[in-house]
Amino acid sequence: MSGSNAFLEALRTYVGEWLPAWALWLAAAVIGVAIAVGLISVIAMFCVWLERKVSGHIQCRYGPMYAGWHGWLQSIADGVKLLLKEDMIPRDADRVLFMLAPALVLAAIVGAMAAYPLAPGVLFADIDLGLFFIVAMSSMTTIGVVMAGWASNSKWTIYGSMREAAQVVAYEVPLGVSLLVPVMVAGTLNLREASAAQADFFGMGWFLFKNPFMLPAFALFFTAALAETKRAPFDLPEAESELVAGFMTEYSGIRWSFFFMEEYAAMFLMSAIAAVFFLGGFESPLTHFAGQFFGTELFVPGDGGASTINFRALPYHLVAGGTLIVKTFFGIFVMMWLRWTLPRIRIDQVMTVGYKYLTPLALLCVFGAALWEAGKHAIFGS
Amino acid sequence: MQGTESARSYAKNVWDSVKTTLVGMGITWRYMLQKPITVQYPDERLPIPDRYRGIHYLEQEKCINCLACARACPIDCIEMEAVRHGKELEWILFTLDYQKCMFCELCVYPCPKDCIHMGTEFAFVTFDRSEFKHDLLSFKGMAREARIRMKEAEAKKAAKEAAKAAGAKPAADAKPAADEGKAES
Repeated sequence: MSGSNAFLEALRTYVGEWLPAWALWLAAAVIGVAIAVGLISVIAMFCVWLERKVSGHIQCRYGPMYAGWHGWLQSIADGVKLLLKEDMIPRDADRVLFMLAPALVLAAIVGAMAAYPLAPGVLFADIDLGLFFIVAMSSMTTIGVVMAGWASNSKWTIYGSMREAAQVVAYEVPLGVSLLVPVMVAGTLNLREASAAQADFFGMGWFLFKNPFMLPAFALFFTAALAETKRAPFDLPEAESELVAGFMTEYSGIRWSFFFMEEYAAMFLMSAIAAVFFLGGFESPLTHFAGQFFGTELFVPGDGGASTINFRALPYHLVAGGTLIVKTFFGIFVMMWLRWTLPRIRIDQVMTVGYKYLTPLALLCVFGAALWEAGKHAIFGS
Repeated sequence: MQGTESARSYAKNVWDSVKTTLVGMGITWRYMLQKPITVQYPDERLPIPDRYRGIHYLEQEKCINCLACARACPIDCIEMEAVRHGKELEWILFTLDYQKCMFCELCVYPCPKDCIHMGTEFAFVTFDRSEFKHDLLSFKGMAREARIRMKEAEAKKAAKEAAKAAGAKPAADAKPAADEGKAES
């Protein structure tokens, strides 16, 4: 099952006999992309609503209340408004780059989505370098942001995109290094395998509890992820009180909403990484017992080589996917909570935190965790 | 020596940042669980104090068109006009220009009949500037009661004239006039 795409597998099971192999590949790719794009849109819409509700309640307000129950349709109303807005491009902007930038940003994040595991057996792509792929793709968005800032030909956007570039360069290092701690414990970069490695203790063998250096590593990773996703207190690229809207100043309508979607999708992916590599991924006691009750293999070898779908295991996969989504949204909630708690820090402070604090501390964590693991191996054996 | 000092301040910075962040998050968490203190404005409204100076309202039946309020107004935003038919008033116009009005309440004090008041309504939104010239009249022309009173008075007068024409004493002339004077005061 490893190395497979669930949609391709399912298509092969049902229509494999009538369609040529390339058509199957194409159909699987189209289905996968459609689901990824749909997922990102729904997540972004939900996150916008959640952010407005969380910020509202933190400030003792209600937030949106009129569009639907507690304003849950507000994002759809906003989306329609953004779609209908005039598409403006400044006269002195670089038209090609200006139009390309939001697309590049969104494409990078949709690409990163490919490694997101929907459920243990339902994956877009079961990549062995999944973590690396997500981190690499999500930092690709920086290119789009710098492009947007440069093409807009305005001082605010240039400042914003320069800050973004500086920030991402500074925080990519602690982000990657602090992720080495769980990767070292898991022994894999594959998200599905890392999650499966935390299944002991009735689904509570989360990496967070497995190593004393995991908690500081988690804190470091989370801080670096905030800077990666341009969230407060590190939202300097779009610091609205000093740079109007930073790199997005000249954008409006649907192009602007692409940047917004990217921000929330990046938050989702970073939280998903945190959930998979620190908070047990799919694993929870509920998942554990669902797995014991329903079985875990979605595709079982049928007669004649082709596998068939084991529908009995479907509830387990729903529970597992739901567990990951819940953990991911917990991470997103904490990001929002932090945003409405902390003020924005200055750019030199951002650099200080990145280079002087997060990077050495992350290296220290990796060193300590390595010693701990080595000691464990020396004393208890493998 | 300096090395240990800077290491201590480094550790203190890390500890402080973690601690203050957690304290701040605790504070925002408390606020988040609290009931929102805002109200859903058009649906719910906060009680307005009695002496609030909002949009005026006029007790038109009491008003005698004495122009005291219009004269008291420091910026001349009250315009009023009425035609007097004997004792009764036929209203033509009583407008207050809210583009000028500064809600000073000076129009309220001089009113001899205590008929113009500051209301509690504060939201006054229009699509056109001309609508800011707010009409305070609840009816134009004469009040129904005034019209009835006038008709009754006319009928009385007619009856008296008829009686007079029928050959009453000259002393009877003075008596209705005195009645009229009594009613007026």
